[in-house]
Amino acid sequence: MAADLQLVRGGEAGCARLWSALAEVMDPEVPVSLVDLGLIYDVRWEGDAVEVDLSFTATACPAMGFIQDDIRARLLAEPGVESVTTRVVWEPPWTPDRISDRGRKQLRGFGISL
Amino acid sequence: MSITADALLRDRVQEGRLVESVDEMSEEYKKELRHIVTVSGDTELLSAPAYYYAARKAPSVNAMISAMAIVQDELGHAHIAYRVLEDLGVSREWLMYERQPHEFRYPYAFDVPLDSWVELCVANALYDQAGFCLLSDVHDNTSYGPWKRGLVKVGKEENFHLLHGRRWMQRLVNSGESGRALVQEAVSWMFPMTVEWFGLPDDLKTHSSQLDYRMKGLTNDQLRQYWMDTVVPFCQELGLDVPVHRNADDTAWELEYDLPVQFDEREKRWDFDDHIAWDEVVKRWKARGPRNQAMIAEIQRSAGDFSWMFKDL
Repeated sequence: MAADLQLVRGGEAGCARLWSALAEVMDPEVPVSLVDLGLIYDVRWEGDAVEVDLSFTATACPAMGFIQDDIRARLLAEPGVESVTTRVVWEPPWTPDRISDRGRKQLRGFGISL
Repeated sequence: MSITADALLRDRVQEGRLVESVDEMSEEYKKELRHIVTVSGDTELLSAPAYYYAARKAPSVNAMISAMAIVQDELGHAHIAYRVLEDLGVSREWLMYERQPHEFRYPYAFDVPLDSWVELCVANALYDQAGFCLLSDVHDNTSYGPWKRGLVKVGKEENFHLLHGRRWMQRLVNSGESGRALVQEAVSWMFPMTVEWFGLPDDLKTHSSQLDYRMKGLTNDQLRQYWMDTVVPFCQELGLDVPVHRNADDTAWELEYDLPVQFDEREKRWDFDDHIAWDEVVKRWKARGPRNQAMIAEIQRSAGDFSWMFKDL
C-alpha cells in the first residue's frame, strides 16, 4: 500500500521526508546545506515529536544557536511535527570526510577547497 | 606617466579592463586607490574594537563566541586591505602602529560608543550592511583585480554578521515590549548615523575620481539608496520606526528630515529640526568622536607587547 508521503508520520518514510526538509537548511556562513556538510547525525520521529542529533564543525562554532533555530523552524513547518528537540553530539567528532560530494563541489565553487 | 597615459588608463578601466599591478597605474590612479583602500581597511580595523567593547556585554557564552568571531573576521578583513596597500607601497607597520588617532580614515559612526549588546546587534544589521553594500559595489565594479578577488571571502563573512544582527533584532523585538523598546532606541540613533555615513549627496559632490577610475561603480546617493533597499523593509517588518518612506513615484526612498542634521554625541540623539551644512558634518567627522583615541590606543598597544616576536624575522 503506497502511503501518501505527506501524511506519513514517523517511521522510515517519515524520516526521509524530514531529511529532505533538512537538506533545505543552509549553513549560515556558506550556502551549503547542513545535510551536505554532514552535520546531521540522526533524525528520529515519534508521535508528533522529532529529535535531531547534530554536531558542529568546531566546538566554538559561532553559529550554533542560529543553526538549531533554523532546524527547529524548518521541521516545525512539516505537517505532523509539533515539537523539535535538537541534541548536540560530539561523538563521533565531525571531520571534513563527512561532507558529501555535492557539498564539496559547492564549496569549491566558493573558493574553499578541501 | 604623462596626462595622456592617465587619460588612456581611465578609458581602459571604463571599458571594464582590470588593472593588475602597479606598473599599469598612473600616479593619480595609485594615489586614489591608496585612499579608497585605506578607508576600507581602517573601517574594518576600527569596527573590531568598537564591537569588542560591546561584545563583552554578551548575554551568554554562545553569544560571546558569535560576537568574537565577528571581531576576528573584521581584523582579517583589515589585514586583506592592508595587504593590498602593501603592494601599493604602503607599509603595514606604519598603517597599524605609526599613525596618529586622527589619521585613521573610517566612518565617524564607530567613534560613537556601542554601549550594549542590543546596540552591537543593531550595528551588525545596519553598519555591517552599509559595509556590505559598499564592498559589494567594489567587488562588482572595481578596476583593481587584486582587491576584487580579496573581497570574495570578505563578502561571505559579512553575510554572517548581517544575519547575526538581524536574528538578534528579531529575537529581541519578539521578546516583548521592553526588548522592542531597546531595539527601537538603538535604531533611532543608528539609522540616521548610517544614512550620514554615505556622505555628501550627489548634487553637492559633482565629481568623483574614484568613479572615473572605476574603483567603485555607484555614487553616494545610489549607495545610500541601495543600503535603504536592504534595511528599511526589514525594520518595517519588525514594526520599527525609521524616518523614511517611498517617494510619490515609488522610485526611491525619501528621508523624512532634511539631511544633514545636528547630532549630540553625548546623548546619542539627532535633532531632526536642526538642519546643518555638510561643512559642519565634515568638521565633526574630522574632529573624530568620543572613542577614537581609546580604540587606536587599544590597537597600537599590541605593537609594544609583541614587537620582540618580530625582531629576528
